[in-house]
Amino acid sequence: MFGLAVLISLILLGTVGPWLLGDPYYMNLSLMGRPPSPEHLLGTTSFGEDVFTQLCNAIGNSLVVGLIAGVLGTLIAVFVGAVGPYIGGMADRISSLATNLALVLPLIPLFIIIASVVRGLNLVLIGLILAATSWPWAARSIRSQVLTLKEREYVNLARMSGQNSVDIVVTEVLPNMLAYIMMVFVILTGTAILAESALSMIGVSTTRTITLGYMLYWAQHETTVPFWWNIWWWFIPPGIVLTVLLTAIFVIHAGMDEIFNPRLREL
Amino acid sequence: MNGVTDSSKESENSAPPVEENHSLGGLLSKFGSVLTNSYVRFLARKAGFYLVVVFLSMVLVFFIIESMPGDPVAVMLASGNPPPGVDINVLADKMRDYFGLDKPILDRFFFFLGNFFTWNLGPSYHFYPVQVSTIVLYYLPYTLSLAIPVLFVSFFVGNYVGARAAYMKGRLNEAGYFALVFCNQLPPFWLGLVVVFTYVLLFHGIPPIGGVTLGVIPSLSISYFVDLLAHWILPFLTLLIVYVGAWATGMRSMVTHEMDSGYVRYGEQLGFKKSKLMSYAQRNAILPQFTGLNMVFNGIVGQTLVIEIVFGWPGLGLLLYNAVFNYDYPLIFGCFMVIIIIIVAGNFLIDVLYGFLDPRMRTGYG
Repeated sequence: MFGLAVLISLILLGTVGPWLLGDPYYMNLSLMGRPPSPEHLLGTTSFGEDVFTQLCNAIGNSLVVGLIAGVLGTLIAVFVGAVGPYIGGMADRISSLATNLALVLPLIPLFIIIASVVRGLNLVLIGLILAATSWPWAARSIRSQVLTLKEREYVNLARMSGQNSVDIVVTEVLPNMLAYIMMVFVILTGTAILAESALSMIGVSTTRTITLGYMLYWAQHETTVPFWWNIWWWFIPPGIVLTVLLTAIFVIHAGMDEIFNPRLREL
Repeated sequence: MNGVTDSSKESENSAPPVEENHSLGGLLSKFGSVLTNSYVRFLARKAGFYLVVVFLSMVLVFFIIESMPGDPVAVMLASGNPPPGVDINVLADKMRDYFGLDKPILDRFFFFLGNFFTWNLGPSYHFYPVQVSTIVLYYLPYTLSLAIPVLFVSFFVGNYVGARAAYMKGRLNEAGYFALVFCNQLPPFWLGLVVVFTYVLLFHGIPPIGGVTLGVIPSLSISYFVDLLAHWILPFLTLLIVYVGAWATGMRSMVTHEMDSGYVRYGEQLGFKKSKLMSYAQRNAILPQFTGLNMVFNGIVGQTLVIEIVFGWPGLGLLLYNAVFNYDYPLIFGCFMVIIIIIVAGNFLIDVLYGFLDPRMRTGYG
């Protein structure tokens, strides 16, 4: 409940905030690098932009990246993880091998290289790339779940009554896995938000759209005062928001685990 | 392999067991029994799998790098002044020819493939006359000196803290759980900034960022070592906080689960001491933690690379980052391959360790 409340308030901040607060890029050059004050809740950047306005936009955009990567990553994971073991034989072995191979690949260096190849990065493209690289873990856990569900009696019954395997996956197995898939989706969204922030903070992701990592990047690189740590109100808030967001997502995931996993509820 | 095992079986049947140890047949039979041992077969299968990983990632990375837009020769020429009186286009053509950039992609791929196995990756474009393998080996210890201590220290500290947190009662338990989750969810790259900020607040000085202080000459002296350590400690602490949280959350739930299980309750009713029960529960709780080592190791290596960029610590992450911006194809390739090899070697060692700890792996149930 706590997690959900935090998540909803962050979503509200990210969607309604930009409407009310106006242009995040507006530079008031007479107010450069001012500390927090009643007019500027979180102070201003060294270009005179309002940090709070930027933060609201960043939350919205980061959530959009997370959502795109989460949805697509879950779809890929379900496809690789569920259909593979169901068709069996060669398809199963290939999908399982591909999952295990992709699981070992280090994502961050791979993404640094990919991001430098793709020109004109925007939120959708980053979401796509993150989805394409973050599915293996989810596919493996979905696969193991499918393997246990596959042996249930109602699935055997469906198979005996002559349904084809894709039909069985869609009508019998997947509905029983919806809760599990939701959990995978939640975690994938969280990791995608974290990964995007890491990459835009080191400056290899989008440099035109404000995300949480983008704020951290500029807070570290473009200060007019001698050292970036002197404008602490610029780099502290995005990180706190990010941590709170990820903690909320983790707590939601743990809560779902408790509800859908009766074995844990007894603890 | 089949031939060896067959002959070893024969010698096992025919020769008396005592004298076997000294004869060639005895050695062969020992070798054969090692080969047929399922633990070794398990390791061989793993090793084969990891070799496939290295090969496929090499192919993948080569083609990704080749599809990079932009011209490395143009970047190289832009980074310095050409000698006077030289036509820049002629120079560019000469450089393309020299680095083999004008050949078709498949030719270059097979050339790379052949050179890769001898670890001869050619000269770097940006640091021209220096070989890629030399540069990479110079930066490698920096990355390892962060990743490996973080892995071990966070494993021990995290599991200890997690077990302690599981024994707390009431509100303290919930608060402890929440603190651990919060630690685990801290983004390391941001925590790095906070650590630097805290350093500035506490000591009012310029924080040690980078490899060594400017002007300190690398040598085998104590002052150099202390300087290096001062630069190492901040990124180390940053990664440690996050990964202690990661291990502790897992350990806490495992210990809670074990303390609730039948054998602990039975022991409780037999009147065992609490500390005895705790040690039993912890021993059973630690085994699943070892399965997490693989994933966490991959995570630590990835996060180390980012943290290096944040702190300017001259490891492979910083090298890769700069190489990408310099269009230094051989260096990007070399960096990525070394990172892959670190990960694969680490995973393999962890598999060896896991098979050693859990007898079920050795008997082929794993």
